[in-house]
Formats: sequence, structure tokens, C-alpha cells
Amino acid sequence: MPDWIQITIRAVSLLVILFFFTKWLGMKQLSQLNIFEYITGIVLGGIVAIHVSTLDSPIYFAVISMFIWFIIPYLVEQLSLKSKTFRDFTQGKSRVVIQNGKILEDNLKKEHFNTDDLLESLREKNIFKVADVEFAVLEPNGKLNVLPKRENRPITAKDLGLDIAPDRETQTVIMDGKPLLEPLANISLNPTWLEAELDKMNVSIENVFLGQVDSDGQLTVDLYDDTLAVPSPTQKPLLLATMKKCQADLELFALSTENEQSKQLYKRNSEKLQKAIDQISPYLR
Amino acid sequence: MTVGSQVRTCYASIKSIEATLSILSNQTNELTAREAYKEVESIIKEIKEDLNKQLLLLAREEPQYNQ
Repeated sequence: MPDWIQITIRAVSLLVILFFFTKWLGMKQLSQLNIFEYITGIVLGGIVAIHVSTLDSPIYFAVISMFIWFIIPYLVEQLSLKSKTFRDFTQGKSRVVIQNGKILEDNLKKEHFNTDDLLESLREKNIFKVADVEFAVLEPNGKLNVLPKRENRPITAKDLGLDIAPDRETQTVIMDGKPLLEPLANISLNPTWLEAELDKMNVSIENVFLGQVDSDGQLTVDLYDDTLAVPSPTQKPLLLATMKKCQADLELFALSTENEQSKQLYKRNSEKLQKAIDQISPYLR
Repeated sequence: MTVGSQVRTCYASIKSIEATLSILSNQTNELTAREAYKEVESIIKEIKEDLNKQLLLLAREEPQYNQ
């Protein structure tokens, strides 16, 4: 057998084996690998590289050594899934480096993390002042996770005491001019509904590049033809406006009527409507 | 525009609000939102019934609107 055929066969077969081994070892980003996984990856690559081009050594040598470098990390991973102590040993533990706003120098030293590293990691999180930090943890993969002090944290709806309507994920129901049936079924809608909604907007499905439905069943589309204007959903803002108008009308009636009984009726209902508006407006925003 | 026709317009708007709320409550797949819509829909319904009574009263006072 000519050499070039041998090399081709070796390259292809080892490539396939390597592909499956790395797949079975679990998918992770390169930056998330711990040091052991990182070395395993390099060694597996090295074994393949050597055996593809070295025709003197039989190919099963490559398979044996790759298998060993696959099975041990695999077993280690399985064991560490089961046992917490084993996991701490193989994958390392996170270490607190700032607590109650104070830097814990001893822990920094144990992780071989110097002051510049700490400042750099904080800057990555957009923190330029150590005094702004309440708590910081150094993760085993070398990343620093930071909890800023209460006053330096971004404000949330909870802080403001705002009422916010809950919502679910948006489903993509049209892609490249074709309806996607599974997402539609997820929100218990059917293609007929989709057609009706598109008819209301006066667009044909072939012209829709992307269409999404939010948790309130409102359809928004992006068209291939960017010169066409697409109506944005008006149902909810219109509803809120109508409610406000009716409320104002009722108040006006209450003021203008002279019949005491009617006045009371208008007043009561205008208050009721105001209550309804307050209750529903988070959902209509 | 007489008071009668103004109240009539308002009554129509209330009916439209009720219908829209019912559409929204059927359309949403979020349970809490559905309940909120339903609750407000029932308030609107009460208002509608009150206004309807008022409309009958006004119709007696302004008989030309019955024709």
C-alpha cells in the first residue's frame, strides 16, 4: 500500500475517533476547561498528530493511547458528578477573595493571584474602585465573580416597587417565509390563526423573513421588502387609551348631571374603571 | 350632542373594551396575565350593566332617541 493512502486512512480514522472522544467528554468552551481537561485535549491532539505522520508505528498504538487518555478523564468526570469531595479535588473550589468589602490577602496568595490580577479582573466587571465591592469569589477557572455593594448595583423593578407583568419566551413562528409548526403548537396556536393575523397586516407569508409571537399572542414580523411599512401591534395601547377615555367621560357625566342618583352612579363607575386601569396597565405596557 | 348620545358612545366603548379584554385573555398563554384580564373584564361587565340601566333611564327622559 503506498504511503499516501496509509496516511489518508490514518488521518481520516483518527479524526473520526478524536471527534467522538471529544464529543463524549462533554461540550465546553475552551475558556471553561479546567487544567486537567485542557491537558487532556492537548495530549489527545498530540497523539493524533504524531501517529498520522509516523508510519513506523502501528495504528493500534494510537488507538490504545487515545483510549487511555479518553477513559481516565471520562471516569474522573463521572466520579466527580457523583461525589462532592472528589469534585472539589479534581475541579478545584471557588475561593472568596473579598468579603464585607475587605480584601482577604491570604486567599489571594493561596491562589497565586496578585493585586494587579485582582484589579484587572474587577475592571473587566466595570469596577474601578475596590471600595465598591461587597463580595468577590475567584472561581476555579480563574474568573472573578463580583457582587457590588447594594448602592452600586443596577436598579431593578423590585427596588422601585414597580408592578411588572410576567412574560414567557417569545416564539419564532415564521422563518424565511415558512411557518414553523412546532413553536406554533407550543403556544397552542395553529397555521390558520397565523394566516388570519398575516391577512390583518396585509402581508403574504412568502414576504416574511422572520415572525415572532410574544406571550400575549401578538405577532411581529420582519419583511424581506424593507420599504414596506409593517403595522406594529396596536391592540393593547388602544385598549388602555379607550379605558382612560371612558373613565374621563364618566367623570364628565358625573360633573354635568344634576340628577343626584345618576351622579352617584357615574362617580362609582368612574372609580371602578380607574381601579381597573391601575390593575391592568402593567400588562398593557 | 345630547347627554343621551354621549352616554351611548361611552357604553359602546365599554363594550369594545370588554371584547378586547376577552380576546387578550384568550390569546395569552401566561396564566397570571389571563387571570388579570378576566378579573378586569368582570369589573368592566359591572360597569356596562350600570351604564345600560342609565341608558334606559335617559331614553325615558329623551324619548326622541327611542325612534
